[in-house]
Amino acid sequence: MIWVTWRQHRAQILLTAGFLAVLGVLLLGSAVEARLYVAGHAPPGCPGPAVACAELEVALGRRYDAVYSVFGWMPLVLPALIGAFWGAPLLGREYERGTHRLAWTQSVPVWRWLAVKLSVLAGAVVAGGLLLSLMVSLWRPVFRAGIDSSFGNIGVFNMVGVAPAAWWLYAFALGTLAGAVFRRTLPAMALVVAGVAATMAALFGLSDHYAEPARAELTGTVVLDDVDARLVRAAWVEPSGREVADPAGSGCPLRADAGRSSRNAEAWQECLFAKGYRYAMYYHPPSRFWRFQWTEAGILLLASAAFGGLAVHRTLRRPG
Amino acid sequence: MRPALEATGLGVRYRRSWALRDCSLAVPAGRVAALVGPNGAGKTTLMHAAVGLLRPARGSVRVAGEAAFVAQDKPLYDGFTVAETLAFGRRMNTRWDGDAAADRLARLGIPLDRKAGGLSGGQRAQVAITLALARRPDLLVLDEPLANLDPLARHDVMRAIMAEVAERELTVLLSSHVVSDLEETCDWLVVLNDGRLQVSGDIEDLLAGHLVLTGPADTPSPAGVSVVGESRTGRQAGLLVRGGPVPDPRWRARRASLEELVMGYLRSPASAALPGLAGVGA
Repeated sequence: MIWVTWRQHRAQILLTAGFLAVLGVLLLGSAVEARLYVAGHAPPGCPGPAVACAELEVALGRRYDAVYSVFGWMPLVLPALIGAFWGAPLLGREYERGTHRLAWTQSVPVWRWLAVKLSVLAGAVVAGGLLLSLMVSLWRPVFRAGIDSSFGNIGVFNMVGVAPAAWWLYAFALGTLAGAVFRRTLPAMALVVAGVAATMAALFGLSDHYAEPARAELTGTVVLDDVDARLVRAAWVEPSGREVADPAGSGCPLRADAGRSSRNAEAWQECLFAKGYRYAMYYHPPSRFWRFQWTEAGILLLASAAFGGLAVHRTLRRPG
Repeated sequence: MRPALEATGLGVRYRRSWALRDCSLAVPAGRVAALVGPNGAGKTTLMHAAVGLLRPARGSVRVAGEAAFVAQDKPLYDGFTVAETLAFGRRMNTRWDGDAAADRLARLGIPLDRKAGGLSGGQRAQVAITLALARRPDLLVLDEPLANLDPLARHDVMRAIMAEVAERELTVLLSSHVVSDLEETCDWLVVLNDGRLQVSGDIEDLLAGHLVLTGPADTPSPAGVSVVGESRTGRQAGLLVRGGPVPDPRWRARRASLEELVMGYLRSPASAALPGLAGVGA
């Protein structure tokens, strides 16, 4: 059965492995080049907070962005591809070609065929997702010592930790179920792409509620000093302690800014702070990284199990 | 002796309509059974239920031992070579006679390195049947094995099945809507019509037990026999009857051919001949 699984799905397995290998080489090359650049150009004490390091940081940032532009689309596109090419054909193609009547009338019972295929392929998908996460996690610190964005940036967040593995598994399970329902590959592929995109948007909206947001009251500034935090919402706090969305009764005039200038807005804020107003921010600090990772992975894992279970149930109920 | 295939009160439903209703039959071991009926009669449904591709809504169907199945379109993995197709069979089955399969394909001149998708219709059917036979099944179920094959390939496929039956204890259930395909090879007949079982029995017994009567149109129906079906055209009347002999001299009697027998029952869906049930051990 393992041989059968390998023989039928080796194209996807080899292609995914090849993609990960190419990506690994790219990331390794980029990291090595950056290290060599740092060794050759960095003033003493850099990278670090010193002013002299700014130039080095910009140069590293340019290198980072060049590679990031290549794989910035990966958090959405890779799960969609996994769902479309690993999940959708698993049952959809068998039904479409009528080969389910060959596969499921051999001595190996249908439930075992399903169990082996689902576990082997799901295992491979999870391993691939973890490998991607590992490579990205090893590569990023080379460029971003001290300035992390793996929590605040949802794109990066979904490429590190356990997120890629959970997303890949989710897409695989969704594709498998779609193939079992439609009994054809192409509609199942379309549903996976739409489903993954919709789920990503839904979880992005839901993620604010993974934990009670932390609250900070700022005076003199409206910017959190932790750049990697996820901002949920903000409000002005009157001197009396009451939170208001719009401090209209403050007497501070707010004039519209022209063009890209923010002078008027800044003057208005200064006026408010001078009158004893404070700025309250609700946010998730980056220390919640793993809590959010596991919450998201848990949701996706539960959904994957439900989809997989439904696909198995549907298949066993009427295999023909 | 236990029947190779036994259905009791079998009913299969697709959404709201019944594809098979109250079907009870038994095919004794060692027989080559022909399953005939018009398109949509439930032949494929009965076969799918027998090999576990369908769960019956009512009743049950039981196979004694291992069943091997070849579906109507002879499904094979098009991307597999013939050798890989055999490897698939070996890994998917507990019983496997790989040498016999390789011998068979060599005799048929089918190259092992050819992709299954590149085989001709006849070769494809032969590979599918080889795959089924290599499992050394007790029951071989073939859904329209001869459909879409040219006359030469039809002959080859039938001969291959008969050779296997002669060699060892093997029961075959094969479906067709062309009765003439089955006349020389089958010794058991199952007729399905509109989801209901009409006939199940030994072909020799069935032919011996039925008569075709011809006579003037105004001749009264004969006594002592049961009329399966009748057709009256102008002054001529033709009857298919079970039982006999018919003493009335106005009727000329002769043995029915298999084709006449099947057609007679299919034209009269209310008639049934199920002598096989009492005969084989239930």
